[in-house]
Amino acid sequence: MPVARGVIAIAMSSIAFATLAQQSTTNPAFTSAPQLQVDESALRYFASQGDTRRVDAEIARLRALYPNWSPPSDLTQFSGGPVAVKDPDIDRLWALYSEDKIAEARAVIAERQASDPQWKPPADLVAALDTFESRRRLTNASDNGQWRTVLSVATETPTLLTCTNVDVLWRVAEAFAKTDQQNRARDVYTYLLTNCDNPAERLGTLQKALTLLPEQQVTDLLRFERKGGVNPDDFGAIRDELARRRVETASTDSKLTVSAEDLAVVERLAEGTSEPGSVILLGYYAYHHNNPEKALALFKTALDRNGGAKAAEGYALSLRALNRFVDAEAFAYDWRDKGAGNLKVYLDVATALLSQDPPPRLDPRVVARIVPVVSQQRFTDGGQALGWYAYNTSQFRTARDWFLTALEWKPNDEPSAYGVAISSQRLNDRVTFGKIVAQWRSRSQRIADLADGINRGRPPAATVLIPEGAPAIPRTAYARAETEPRLSYGERMEHDLVRDPATQGAPRSAGPRNCTTTNRNPGSLSPDAALTLGWCLMELNRPLEAVAAFDQAIRRGSDRTREEATYGKTLAFLRKNLTSEASLAASEAPQTAQRRTELNATILAQRALGAFKEGRYTEALLALSERARIVPEQTDLMLIRGWAYFKLGRYTDAETVFRSVQRTGYSDEANVGLNAVAEAIRPSRQY
Amino acid sequence: MSVRVKRGLQLIAGFALALGATSPAAPSGPTLSAKPLQMAGTISTADWEAYRSRFIDDSGRVIDNANGNISHSEGQGYGLLLAFAAGDRRTFEKIWTFTLTELLIRDDGLVAWKWDPSARPRVSDRNNASDGDILVAYALAKAGAAWKDTRYTAAARKMARAIGKNNFARHNNAPLLLPATTGFGADDRPDGPVVNLSYWIFEAFPVLAPLAPEYDWSGVWKEGVSLLYQATSGRARLPADWVSVRTKLQTQPADGFPPEFGYNSLRISLYLLRAGMTDLEWLRTLNQRWSTSQEGVAVVNVVTGQPRERLTDQGYAVLSAMLACALDGKPLPGMLKMFEPKLYYPSTLYLLSMSLISERYPQCL
Repeated sequence: MPVARGVIAIAMSSIAFATLAQQSTTNPAFTSAPQLQVDESALRYFASQGDTRRVDAEIARLRALYPNWSPPSDLTQFSGGPVAVKDPDIDRLWALYSEDKIAEARAVIAERQASDPQWKPPADLVAALDTFESRRRLTNASDNGQWRTVLSVATETPTLLTCTNVDVLWRVAEAFAKTDQQNRARDVYTYLLTNCDNPAERLGTLQKALTLLPEQQVTDLLRFERKGGVNPDDFGAIRDELARRRVETASTDSKLTVSAEDLAVVERLAEGTSEPGSVILLGYYAYHHNNPEKALALFKTALDRNGGAKAAEGYALSLRALNRFVDAEAFAYDWRDKGAGNLKVYLDVATALLSQDPPPRLDPRVVARIVPVVSQQRFTDGGQALGWYAYNTSQFRTARDWFLTALEWKPNDEPSAYGVAISSQRLNDRVTFGKIVAQWRSRSQRIADLADGINRGRPPAATVLIPEGAPAIPRTAYARAETEPRLSYGERMEHDLVRDPATQGAPRSAGPRNCTTTNRNPGSLSPDAALTLGWCLMELNRPLEAVAAFDQAIRRGSDRTREEATYGKTLAFLRKNLTSEASLAASEAPQTAQRRTELNATILAQRALGAFKEGRYTEALLALSERARIVPEQTDLMLIRGWAYFKLGRYTDAETVFRSVQRTGYSDEANVGLNAVAEAIRPSRQY
Repeated sequence: MSVRVKRGLQLIAGFALALGATSPAAPSGPTLSAKPLQMAGTISTADWEAYRSRFIDDSGRVIDNANGNISHSEGQGYGLLLAFAAGDRRTFEKIWTFTLTELLIRDDGLVAWKWDPSARPRVSDRNNASDGDILVAYALAKAGAAWKDTRYTAAARKMARAIGKNNFARHNNAPLLLPATTGFGADDRPDGPVVNLSYWIFEAFPVLAPLAPEYDWSGVWKEGVSLLYQATSGRARLPADWVSVRTKLQTQPADGFPPEFGYNSLRISLYLLRAGMTDLEWLRTLNQRWSTSQEGVAVVNVVTGQPRERLTDQGYAVLSAMLACALDGKPLPGMLKMFEPKLYYPSTLYLLSMSLISERYPQCL
């Protein structure tokens, strides 16, 4: 024992624990029966005194302190020992020591020395008292986070650093770790795992290491696991925890994947408990690794296990990833107040719901409850989505106001400005339009184009796509959000997809008209007046009334008037999304070749879009192909073609189309498609 | 203001002479050669037994029975000092063992100030208090020297260095004793530095200075006298317990503390007398207030001069009686000669006073 202590003393005070650990593996003094380091000096003293009562008490005390310790079998050898004169103070001192009355023992020594300056307490008693005091001081310092004190006490009292004081070793390791000396902490654990035998303490050592060391260092310590022998280790729980942590790290990072073994560990952990934690972890892993169906099921389980806000967040995200926007919004709405993450998910889900492609028909109550949340949070994306939703439901004034609000929340956001421009133009609100153009034309090509009447991206014919019965959007106070704005694919499609020839120089009277002040009964009008009324009603976006006016002009008008009215009627049906009616109407009077091509192209585009919206992808492709025979396919319709291929599982065709679009410069939209293709054709992961 | 400053300087100069300095104008200034107290054997066995059995448990913990039976560094320091004065090595050793293992755990080598038996960990506030630090170090130094115990001397030396390193500060080019290492400095509060003049245990300075000569004990000691002069120059002529010294020569009661001459400050006279600094004029002012005007020891608002609470325990009463004894030679009233310990703090003040009277003014007994 003295040899071992000496070695540790040198190691602690002069060289690092690393060296100590290395030495310990080769130094037999270290590895041989560390239990011998239990301080038996009191026991031996009592035995030498023949004090069997105290011997028994001391054995009991040491057994309680050191469960693995067993008393020496040869205690009797002390009984006849060379104890010259019985000293009652020594008797008393050992008794006090064995009762942990250290201060009193110190007091007795001090008192004795005061009266008898020559007297010296037994050296092993002094050592025992020093060790006890140091352990207490080290423990107190550790409990109070005084790490340097812990390390200095350990350095001053190397006798503490033995397998009988595993708790002290743990505290020393923690002090190293807390003072940025992880490697030294690791060395202490290495020493412990190399030399100390108690399986519970060995496992406890790994558990301590888990809280203080980097995972790689913990993994390295696993090699000390003792597989056989009297007291084999079982570090399985540590391996499980390391696996769980790897899954945890990868669960929010789609670039990181973990092994099937790690996932199996977490699945086993999840099955072995009713706690939701591991299930949530697996849910996020699935969600971030292209498996929203599985994620949804896992989050459902987690919710059933009272997984709370985090599970709810994952559930909503999974619904969204599955394009189940209506369900996602409804679910997320109930959880929006439960945490910052839940609120963010709700805003994203609501924005996605509004921005769906094709445009949705939403329950007015849904829209009404989205509005206050978006406003309160000043969520720019949500404001824009409400703007486009309003725009697509012919609520242009509301649309303009939402875009203005979104612009106020995020003043440099071009998509908001574009929304303002396009909606104010549609409203004929020249003041707002002029203002926004003045501010933005140098910064936004498409706003400059709007102002210049260039139809590069084409003005929107969004009214063509109005869903019936779309709800009015309440206008309320506004708020701000920090997220990066974007015009979603769906939004872009709505605006750009279908060209409305009516806005492209159709022969109409110039200047604004007020149809409401004229006679509204087309039957009583002259053909030309009926034609004028038709165009006027078209401008007011009353296409069905316009159809009646155009009909009057067709019935009575000259060829020229009939041609014009037929054209108008076709457009009116198109705007009403009545494609087959439009097709029929187009045949009522002969059109010029150019106009016929134009109308047919529009009708076919509309038909393709309608088919796409309703999931009839083959039909959509047929319409697009027919259209492509008469006019070149424009980029936005190429995207529709790509998505139709995609939906039909024709990934190679989809990829070809998206690549073509990418080359034309619409790289964002094309990339969305290409990513979707890439994800779809990636081999599915095995769990 | 100029008059005050002048008087202050005169006073310090006179004081320096009393302490044996060669000249107040000498660059080295006054030295810390005050006549040291012997202390040993100045507390009777009976009085000490009454105190020890009431306030010190077997583990060496000095218990403040007026404050939820907590312990603190000040109490441990007082306990050590009184055990030394009573010649009780046993108890001294116990108190030291407790102090060492339970409180002397700070990384900076100072003493955690608060220990609460009902808290976990029991050190419920690991901040230090510089008077507690000084008292513990002082008692260890005294005991180490008298009993020739190198453990005590070594511990005293370590603590003296830690005190000099962590509790001393400089502000406006003057050395200071901060009440603690954190919370009172110039950067810690708008009115910082804030000091507590009762933390200047003047008698300890000449004892600790040789143990850590690299620190300016003499300068801090002098600044304590100077600040005491400034802080007692107001209408009430009493210092507040907590004093802002942010502005040079314009001490003020610190923000957030009652502007009171309270339980802290009422022991300043005890410390001055124990250090032999009887020439300080303020002691006469205080004696006038306590004895001649018959106000007695009280907690006094230093702005209005109005007493808020009169303190009648014999541990407080003995403070004024001792002052009257030291300055006017008045004998101690008979009712103060019988120790009747009730609460830790006044009982401690009582024994510290009686120890001094016994050593320096036995004629008053």
